[in-house]
Amino acid sequence: MNQNAEELNKVEKKDLFTSGHRACGGCGQALAARLVQDASGENTIACVATGCLEVFSSPYPDPSWRIPFLHSLFENASAVASGVEAAYKALKKGPVNIIAQGGDGSTADIGFQSISGMFERGHNVLYVCYDNEAYMNTGVQRSSFTPYGARTSTTPMGNKTRKKNMPLIAADHGIPYVATATVDDFRDLQRKVKTALSIEGPKYIHILAPCPLGWGHHGELTVQICRLAKDTGLFPIYEIIDGKLANVKKIRAKVPVEEYLKLQGRFSHLFKKGGSKETIAEIQNIANQNIERYNL
Amino acid sequence: MEKLPLGLVMELRNVVPYKTGSWRTLMPINVMHTPPCNHACPAGNDIRGFLRVLAEKKDYEQAWHMLTRTNPFPAVCGRVCPHPCEGGCNRRDFDEPLAINCAERAVGDYGLENNLKHKKLIETRKEKVAVIGSGPAGFSCAFHLAKRGFQVKIYEANSEPGGMMRYGIPSYRQPNYVLKQEIDNILSLGVELECNVKVGVNIPFDQLRNEYDAVFLGMGAQKGVSIDIPGKDAENVFTGVEFLKQVNTGKWVEIGNDVVVIGGGNTAMDCARVAKRLGANVNIVYRRTRNEMPAITAEIDEAMEERIMFRYHTNPVKLVLDEGRVVGLLCVQMELREPDASGRARPVPISGSEAFIPADTVIMATGQAVDYDGIEIQTVDKRWIYTNEYLMTSTEGVFAGGDAVAGLETVSLAIGQGMRAASAIEDYIEGNKESELAQQPVVISRELNTYYYQPVKRYEKEARSIHMRLKGFKEIYPTFDQDDIIAEADRCFSCGLCFDCGNCYMYCPDNAVKKSKTTGLYEFDYDFCKGCGLCAKECPCHYIQMTLEK
Repeated sequence: MNQNAEELNKVEKKDLFTSGHRACGGCGQALAARLVQDASGENTIACVATGCLEVFSSPYPDPSWRIPFLHSLFENASAVASGVEAAYKALKKGPVNIIAQGGDGSTADIGFQSISGMFERGHNVLYVCYDNEAYMNTGVQRSSFTPYGARTSTTPMGNKTRKKNMPLIAADHGIPYVATATVDDFRDLQRKVKTALSIEGPKYIHILAPCPLGWGHHGELTVQICRLAKDTGLFPIYEIIDGKLANVKKIRAKVPVEEYLKLQGRFSHLFKKGGSKETIAEIQNIANQNIERYNL
Repeated sequence: MEKLPLGLVMELRNVVPYKTGSWRTLMPINVMHTPPCNHACPAGNDIRGFLRVLAEKKDYEQAWHMLTRTNPFPAVCGRVCPHPCEGGCNRRDFDEPLAINCAERAVGDYGLENNLKHKKLIETRKEKVAVIGSGPAGFSCAFHLAKRGFQVKIYEANSEPGGMMRYGIPSYRQPNYVLKQEIDNILSLGVELECNVKVGVNIPFDQLRNEYDAVFLGMGAQKGVSIDIPGKDAENVFTGVEFLKQVNTGKWVEIGNDVVVIGGGNTAMDCARVAKRLGANVNIVYRRTRNEMPAITAEIDEAMEERIMFRYHTNPVKLVLDEGRVVGLLCVQMELREPDASGRARPVPISGSEAFIPADTVIMATGQAVDYDGIEIQTVDKRWIYTNEYLMTSTEGVFAGGDAVAGLETVSLAIGQGMRAASAIEDYIEGNKESELAQQPVVISRELNTYYYQPVKRYEKEARSIHMRLKGFKEIYPTFDQDDIIAEADRCFSCGLCFDCGNCYMYCPDNAVKKSKTTGLYEFDYDFCKGCGLCAKECPCHYIQMTLEK
């Protein structure tokens, strides 16, 4: 068991997702995808939905993937992954790690039904959601993961709804493993991927992946913003193992949400003349509710 | 024609990498910056270097060799240095600075215990250099020259070598065997030492100048200066230097029950604490307050712990004599007015506030001066030797360093000057154009990413109980535990030098940081680096810097 824990905590770097992709400098999603691929290892099939990740990493003749890679439509990455898993079963091949991956749009909106179906049917697939809180690939349109108060091209005055709580929705399907992670703690992220892959059945990992372009921050701040998202309480880090909340990551030192919001262009309207103090107070309220709910 | 499989199947060997490095506007580079501790060290020690060796390799021997590259007296400095390095330590803005001084002493003591020897860089050269004075400056200069193969001879006026380290520092701070062993280690490099020879009195200075290729003056400021008040020539009035020298040579000094020490510098503290150990009640008389005292804070604290009375705002006007012996001082109270030239508040007497303090002995620790007997040289303000920026005096081929140049300063500054003078002497003899190496910029705490460090409690050295301290001249800080010191060295932030945390390697979204197979160090793959700056931002120790494209 001890050795197993050591193996899980080990940081992996295997160059399975290589240089030369066309992501912006400091892209959180490229970083997250690389960490996931390095953790899962060579014996992996990636089924990736349409989105930034597919666009910047797969064009001919220089894909970044060094593992089998299937690109599907926006809505059916998990359906394709289910099919791959069923085919492996029918051919009596394997075992193999099958990872369906998608952005927040394909997870929460367009591909929601196929994910829900995959969870319900109980396929042995890990679904990884790279959450950058809007449709970045098509020009920063609002998705149902866009947080309260954020400006996107379709919500120029700031988003009026709260973010959909996908990890809890996934957990309510009764799947064995759900986790959230950010790119700043790569050890934790890779441990969660490895833990998930060691469990039989559908799994869901939700990774916060800042988008320098869509969020309006400099590429060098990607990791720092993730850290602030954790330390403000806006993005709680936890695991749900067999329906029970576990391994909640405590906040090291609580930070007011302004620190997090100020770094990002998508919240800059809140701090300008005529900016809304109520909106900031509401975001702080959301953070406080998270802290209370998950005991951060 | 070859039959292709259905659909597009790509083989990895057909992959053409797309070099995203062309997008870059700023490039990351690895720069070994100067840490603030090294920058603040007057002896020029590589503090970060030896701390990292302790923390990573737990190797005291290597740490000792690193430290003695610059400083031949680690065990002495670890005891007496006021450690400006700790004032510079970037950890002060995070939790508490590192106990660098304790680490230095532990490393120095390890060297003494295991009898580690200095290594010579070059075997022998024919050029000869004379060093006048065997204090920290003289020995440091001799050490660095001897390492480079020069024939060095030290002339010492006293009967034993060490200068102020031998005669000015009481043994409860620095026992004599420590100094003796470190001196013997330097002498084993082939340095010649002749004691009881006062240059300018026993040998003419010009003779040395003709016999040797270069001369180094490190005679220090060994002459006590007393304040000019009536009665200062009475037989039970000492200067601070004189008193300490007598005690340190093992002479019994009859001081009686009440001792008054005049002055607020380190010598005053030493005299007071020595007198206390000889069984007297001690009063320190100082005309300003504690804030203006030039002595090291820790010394003042320790003196207070040892129940030495401090009388501030008090200025002696006259020593009261009875049959040629002092029986007390007449003092006047002062008040502080606007600062004088030295930046300290200017004391002004309050009229009618005269008071009498009884005394069996009066020690005047009110300043020191250079003894220029028989040595003619250009001076500054008629006090200190004039030198140019390469420590050469007005006389060609004669260099100087230590207290005689810098005024009353620390052992470590004298060591640093000795080292610089050694380089300058080598350049002078070889006819090189003097050059100084460009120094990398110093890392300030704002540039560090302290998120990756944990607050850890500082190692505090434990003094013996005051009761035990006052019983004799035994060292007040017993030997430190070696493992504790390694734990303390592990607190080092390693400002400006990679310590293999792997952040740049793991955080690069473009996989453009590679680990070199040969050196194990991290390198940038500029073909693919997009220059986002994430690695530089997340580097805890500011080793990575973003610069303009080259």
